[in-house]
Amino acid sequence: MTASTDYTAQEIIVVAGSKVLENNKIVFVGTGLPMVASLLAVLTHAPGLIPVFEAGAVGPPLKRGLPVSVGDSKTFTGASYLQGLNAAFELTQRGFADFGFIGGAEVDMYGNLNSTMIGSFPDGYQKPKVRLPGSGGAADMAASCERTILIVPHDKKKFSEKLTYVTSPGHLDGSPDARFKAGMQGKGPYRVITTKGIFDFEEKSKRMRLLQTFPGETVDSIKAATGFELLVADNVSEFKAPTVEEVRLIREEIDPTGVFVKRA
Amino acid sequence: MENSAKMFWTGLSPDEARAALVTKDKSMRDKRMTLKDAVSKFVKNGDNVAIGGFVDVRQPVATTHEMVRQGFKDLTLSFQSAGLGPEFLAGAMLARPDHCSIKRIELAYWAHEAFGLSPAWRILAENSMVEFEDWSNYNISARFKAGAMGLPFLPTRSPLGGDITNTSRTKIVDCPFTGRKIGLVPASNPNVGLLHVQVADMYGNCIIRGSLGTCVEIAMASAHTIVTCEQLVSHELVTKNPNEINIPFAAVDAVVHVPFGAYPGACRRHYYFSSDYIRKFLALIAPIAKGGSSDALKAWYDEHVFGVANFDEFIAKMPAKQLLHDQAVEAYNYEALA
Repeated sequence: MTASTDYTAQEIIVVAGSKVLENNKIVFVGTGLPMVASLLAVLTHAPGLIPVFEAGAVGPPLKRGLPVSVGDSKTFTGASYLQGLNAAFELTQRGFADFGFIGGAEVDMYGNLNSTMIGSFPDGYQKPKVRLPGSGGAADMAASCERTILIVPHDKKKFSEKLTYVTSPGHLDGSPDARFKAGMQGKGPYRVITTKGIFDFEEKSKRMRLLQTFPGETVDSIKAATGFELLVADNVSEFKAPTVEEVRLIREEIDPTGVFVKRA
Repeated sequence: MENSAKMFWTGLSPDEARAALVTKDKSMRDKRMTLKDAVSKFVKNGDNVAIGGFVDVRQPVATTHEMVRQGFKDLTLSFQSAGLGPEFLAGAMLARPDHCSIKRIELAYWAHEAFGLSPAWRILAENSMVEFEDWSNYNISARFKAGAMGLPFLPTRSPLGGDITNTSRTKIVDCPFTGRKIGLVPASNPNVGLLHVQVADMYGNCIIRGSLGTCVEIAMASAHTIVTCEQLVSHELVTKNPNEINIPFAAVDAVVHVPFGAYPGACRRHYYFSSDYIRKFLALIAPIAKGGSSDALKAWYDEHVFGVANFDEFIAKMPAKQLLHDQAVEAYNYEALA
């Protein structure tokens, strides 16, 4: 396996995201990089991975190219089950989704995510400084997928001590059984994948913990780019650069027109 | 009970929704009419209008254009994830505030996925030009479903734990059976639902291809439903396999045959997204956020909405090459013998 020398930040995120996924599991897939990561997993180590899209498609083979929407016609062709949003979220709430991929504009140390607004809250809710699109299905996936994988570009401001708004709840305040006590299901945030590395959540404190650094990053460089106190695993390792073949699959097979994976 | 946010109903309360059906003409009659007549008959100022489809898929674009042509005031818009529907309505509010206005938005997501953020949503929200209430996709879908089921609420897990419970009419209660916390979301019974579907007969029996979105729930929950369709076919064909009917005639008030009625968005089996057109339209709104001129946007509405009599004339302005391309892409997504 030859290591690639010209992969991009988004490509390493995709490769890292795909490796978290396990074969023969159901993954609830959002728009963008999660789609690419899931397709890469199917083409590599997880041919039996089953994608679910919130507009309703369950288990499509995605042979008609990369969907640009989770309601894309390309997700409908060959789907094993296809109803609407209620059906997709009901099966998730029931426990059929092993993994869910979610993103946000801000994340805190407990894996809570914000994709609603930047500004002051609650006073400034009706006059946000920056209005983001809103939850979509992210809050639902956060509440009911068994394990969630968070994708957030690594930035000191985005890795924030306190979120403006909690759109998609993770480990809440990190207190014991916080999710269960709140009425939620599933184990919550499992991995965080950023432009700098891979993180999990320490079992007791539920705080974000650095597991692997991407090539070119160090524990210190990642700490410096994080707006809260980051835990560091005892045996932090370097995540291997994507292989030439993985990069080729992304560029030539999965996203040949660069819809989601930017070349620069 | 946590969250004592003041309760109010937008659109109809569950009891009002029930009462409205009691007096409604449920006969299986010919409901074909022009979109102009359907909008003037069923959409009123101040209404809570539900938008069908999902993001830029099967959005009721033709109906939103007709609403803009006729003008509207103080609307509430309700949708899970939408793109072009609210964008065309809100763009009109930015271009012609004297003619079109939105008062309130109940939503889970407003943007365009791969095609970008919604510039109109940012402008309206960041300048407090509308009031809004955030939900999740499942919350809103369950709200329409509760309305469709004749129930005042549904219990769901997903408002729990986050701030959606603090900014919406969600109630968190102790489940009477398990003792654990559970979220209750109030029914949504809109005044009017706007749907674009693949197939309908003249009575309003509808067949949807691809994702149902929450169109079935919206049709059943709303006091009135306007359906535009790609194919208007015989009652005999629609009822050939009754299991295929997604929406029953009794839930529909107007049937309008509008080919390309969700364009430049996508419609399964008919056409794929016209991504360039969507991006170009968004680019007309974006400069206004930075204090730029709305002249280009006004000119677009003057030419494409106010300057035409109906949606057919809007589509007729599109290059044939572009329409054929978007049909051909969809013919690859959905392969079928002619």
